[in-house]
Parts: sequence; structure tokens; C-alpha cells
Amino acid sequence: MKDLLSRIGQWTEKMWRSIPIHLRDAIFTALLLGIAAAICFVLRSIDENGSFTLLIFVLAVVIISRFTEGYFWGVFSSLFGVICVNFVFTYPFWAFNFRLTGYPLTFLTMLAVSLIISAMNTKIKKQERLRTEAERETMRANLLRAMSHDIRTPLTSIVGNTSAILENGDTLSTEQQRELLRDVNEDAQWLIRMVENLLSITRISGEQTAISKEYEAAEEILAASVHKFEKRFKSNIRIAVEVPQEVVLVPMDATLIQQVLLNLMENAVLHGESTTELRLSVEHIGDEACFTVSDNGLGIPRERLATLFDGSLSGEKGGGFDMKKNMGIGLSVCQTIVKAHGGRITAENRPEGGAQFRFYLPLKEEKEDEDQG
Amino acid sequence: MKIRDKVLIVEDEQNIKNFMSTILAANGFDTLMAGGAKEALSMISSHCPDLIILDLGLPDMDGMEVLKQVRAWSSVPVIVVSARTHEGDKVAALDLGADDYIEKPFGTSELLARIRTAIRHTRTGLDNDSIAQSGKYTVRDLTIDYDKHHVLMRGEDVHLTLNEFKIVALLGKYAGKVLTYDFLIREIWGPKAKADNQILRVNMANIRRKIEKNPAAPEYIFTEIGVGYRMLENE
Repeated sequence: MKDLLSRIGQWTEKMWRSIPIHLRDAIFTALLLGIAAAICFVLRSIDENGSFTLLIFVLAVVIISRFTEGYFWGVFSSLFGVICVNFVFTYPFWAFNFRLTGYPLTFLTMLAVSLIISAMNTKIKKQERLRTEAERETMRANLLRAMSHDIRTPLTSIVGNTSAILENGDTLSTEQQRELLRDVNEDAQWLIRMVENLLSITRISGEQTAISKEYEAAEEILAASVHKFEKRFKSNIRIAVEVPQEVVLVPMDATLIQQVLLNLMENAVLHGESTTELRLSVEHIGDEACFTVSDNGLGIPRERLATLFDGSLSGEKGGGFDMKKNMGIGLSVCQTIVKAHGGRITAENRPEGGAQFRFYLPLKEEKEDEDQG
Repeated sequence: MKIRDKVLIVEDEQNIKNFMSTILAANGFDTLMAGGAKEALSMISSHCPDLIILDLGLPDMDGMEVLKQVRAWSSVPVIVVSARTHEGDKVAALDLGADDYIEKPFGTSELLARIRTAIRHTRTGLDNDSIAQSGKYTVRDLTIDYDKHHVLMRGEDVHLTLNEFKIVALLGKYAGKVLTYDFLIREIWGPKAKADNQILRVNMANIRRKIEKNPAAPEYIFTEIGVGYRMLENE
């Protein structure tokens, strides 16, 4: 029963969202004015005195102005309200009477209310947009700061190790030299991955989230990411990939989504510590594609779950900065990419142990987002 | 004495040039080096290398232009080196006739594998050798029968549709080489078809459901994200 209700809810929301925004506002306005009129009719049958009608219409105008786009519907409904009150609900009923005292005042009040609310509304929206822009900017700045900070550590080690070999090569055994070179190699690989993340971020350029999306088969992206991951980490971790029988085509920037999958897999291996098995899957849920990356490692420390995605710097507060431990960068890159696709990402610990990351991408490109973007 | 293959490295960064040349020399190749496009073009005509590794970002001329000029008179295998900042370039280079691409930063084993494959391809001619002889291409459990127009998995017909067969046949013909999405669409649906990647994706998904055990862990046809498809090569 509950399931049915939620499905109906989802369905109506989907239907509602599929209506173009102007039509949506029109329907909303008509509905509210209708309700206001209905309430007035009902109340009038109880109380012949029509003093409440005005208040009810003012309330309707307030709500309409608040929840519709721009000024038009607010002004429209105040006009409609005035006419309606005059025509239907004040004496003489079902006739216009422009000689009513206070009539211009009523009209002006309604109009002023609608204009003020609409103006406030527009202002709020503008401020919201400014705030998200500022947030994005802060996130980017944080990320860059954390990255340049992190890049220094492996670079120091590379310079140190190579100059040790160059300057004291003859006193070091071949085994020692190899050891140092292996570290250099590892650090350099880490730097490469970091730079790839940086490149991904710069692709989502500025305030325009104009990433070039194309319909891609989700299974191909999973397979190619796993392939790349296996080439990069020659580990003996088993990776299972599951896809549905149905082909799931998702609008995305494939390179960026591959980056997300690579980061999640890499985290599972580096931070899960005891990870021996990775599981990747994609499902078609409602009008979204849900990608899951889960492992059987140590899971995510509870205190980090809340702030996992918002940045990079939270990891280093506890002193003793360890670059391997810093999974913040990879994850905030993931979040940035997924958000730029109009999706969302979640993290949780699986009851049977290990971490599970999911991200959801919309299957249809949202027209509205494009209008506003 | 074994004749060593001659590889021309066209790359302007001294360090990368050195590293590639060291690796190649250590693995039995003769190496030539050019630091710019003009030098490269004159070396290609005078030394006739067996393979060219071409960095697309050259100081004096666009690497793409070099490729165009070489392709005008020679079919020498060319592997382009692309950086991730110019992602479209590798696709353009492949469509211009480059044999393969490798992305910076690359590992040595990857580089060597690509070079060997590209040289082998020219040795046997671009068309797959076994197809010319037997009318079939077989790799592991998969057999493409070009005469009878069907594809067999462990001896059993997998019943591909006409377009699906065309795609598999084309990939088999160039096994080991990446075929770009545009190339496939042009070849299958004709030059006038509006390039529609979705149709290709769906066809490929259906093919994989017929020939792969797990379509998300393919063993025969691999996806190169943003570029195209590559069929497993018979070693």
C-alpha cells in the first residue's frame, strides 16, 4: 500500500515536471484561484457577510506570487481576484459595481501585495543563484589549495630519492637504489592521477556547467573503467561487474564519469585496506541510472561519513598529514562531476562490512537546467 | 643477423624523447629522433622508418599536418601520442589514417605493445591475414565466417542481425585496431547517415549480449571511451 502510494507520488511528480514551466505556473494559478473561489462560495453559504472574501483572495495572491516565476501570474491573479470579489462576492451578486466604496483601494492593495511578493521572490532566487555560485567557487578554491598542498609531498619525495641516487649512487646497493626508484615511480603515478583529477575539474569550467553530454551505454563505461583500473593497479583484487539485461543509455561526459568510477575504485582499494573484492553495478531506477561501487574492506569511519564529500581539508585536521589517507580530493572531484551532470552521490557502510558508494545520473536531460544554466 | 625495425620518434620534449629512445633501443629497435615537424618530414622521406611515433603537439607545425602529408604518399604505421587536454585530437588523427594512439602519460609496456601490434599489422597487410586465406577470422571461441556471413561462438551460430554482423565483421577485419565511432557509422549506415552514436551503442550492446559471457566484462570487443571499439587480436 505504502509502496503504491509512493509510486503514485513519484508518477505525479514526474508528470508535473514534464509539463513546461509556464504551463505549470498557469495550472498552479488557476488551481489556487479556483480553491479560493470555492472556499468563498462555501463560506458565503454560512455567512452572508462577504468581508472574508477579500482576505482569502489576498492570501491566494500571496501564495501565487511566491511560487510562480516572475511577476505575471501574481499581477494576473490580483486582477482576477479584484474582479471576482467585485462580481461574485459583493453586493450586488453576479454583477459589477464599480461605485463600491474602497474599490480602488482593494485593487491597489492586491496589486501591491502581488508586486512586493514577486519582487522579493525574484530577489531570493537571484541571491540563491549567487550563493550557489559562491559555494562552487569556494569548493574549487578549496580543492585547488588542497591539491597544491598534496602535490608537494610526493614531489619532495621524488626530488629527495632521485638526488640520493644521483649523488650517492656508488655507496648505495642496487637493491637500495631500486627501492628508492620504486618509491619515485609510485609517487609519480600518484601525481599523474592527481593531475587527471585536476583536468576533470577544469573541464567543468566556470559557472556554465556546459559539459558535453552524449548518450552512452552504462555497461561500456563500467567495463572500460574496470579495464583501465586493472591496468593501473596490477592487484589481485577481484572485480565483479553486473549490468541489467536492458541497455541503459545515460547522457554523460564519458571521460568524467570514468574518472568518478576510477576514483571510487581507487578509494576502495587504498582506504578499504583489507579490500579483496570490488563490485560494480548499474541499475535503472525510475528516471535515473544508479551506479554502485561497493567493496568488502574496512568501511568508512563513522565520524567521516557526514563530511566525506565536502572537501579535502577535513582530513588533515587530526594532525599527522598522510597523503594516502586523504581521500577527500578524489571524492570531492566525484561529487563535482556528478553534480555537474545533475545527479547526486551517496556513501554508506554496508551492514555486511565494507563501503558502498552510489551515484545517480538522470536519464533524461533536464530542459529547465539548460534554460537557467 | 636480425634486421632491427627502425622507429622514428617525433617529439619536442627532450626528456620524453630520451626515455622512449632508451626503452626502444633496449627492446631491439633502432631509433631515430626528430624534434619538430619539418625535421620529421625530411627524415621520413630520407630514412624510410618502419614506424613513426608522432606527438601531436609540435612547436613548428601541427602534428595533424605531418600526418596528412605522410599519408599522402606513404602507409608507414603511425602511432600518435596525445595529451588529455586535446581529447578530440586522437579521434581526428585516427580518422586521418593514424594506426593507433597512445595517451600521455603512458607506461613502457603499453608503448612497446602498441608498437609491436602496429608493425605486425603492416607486415601482414592491413587486411587481416587469416581472412584472406580462409575467409574466416577466429580468436579464442569466436569465429567470424566472412563467406557464409555468420558469427559462431564455440561452433554455434549466434544469430546476429545484418547490421550487427557488419559491425563485427568490420572489427574482425581490423582486429587489434581501434575503429572510431564515426568510421563505423559511415561504413555501416553509409556516408549520408546522420552520425548517431546511440544506434551504434545499442547495436553493440546487443552484439555483446550474444557473444560475451558478461557484457560488462567483455573479452572480445573492447570500448575505448570517446574513441571507438577494438576487437581482440589473435596473437
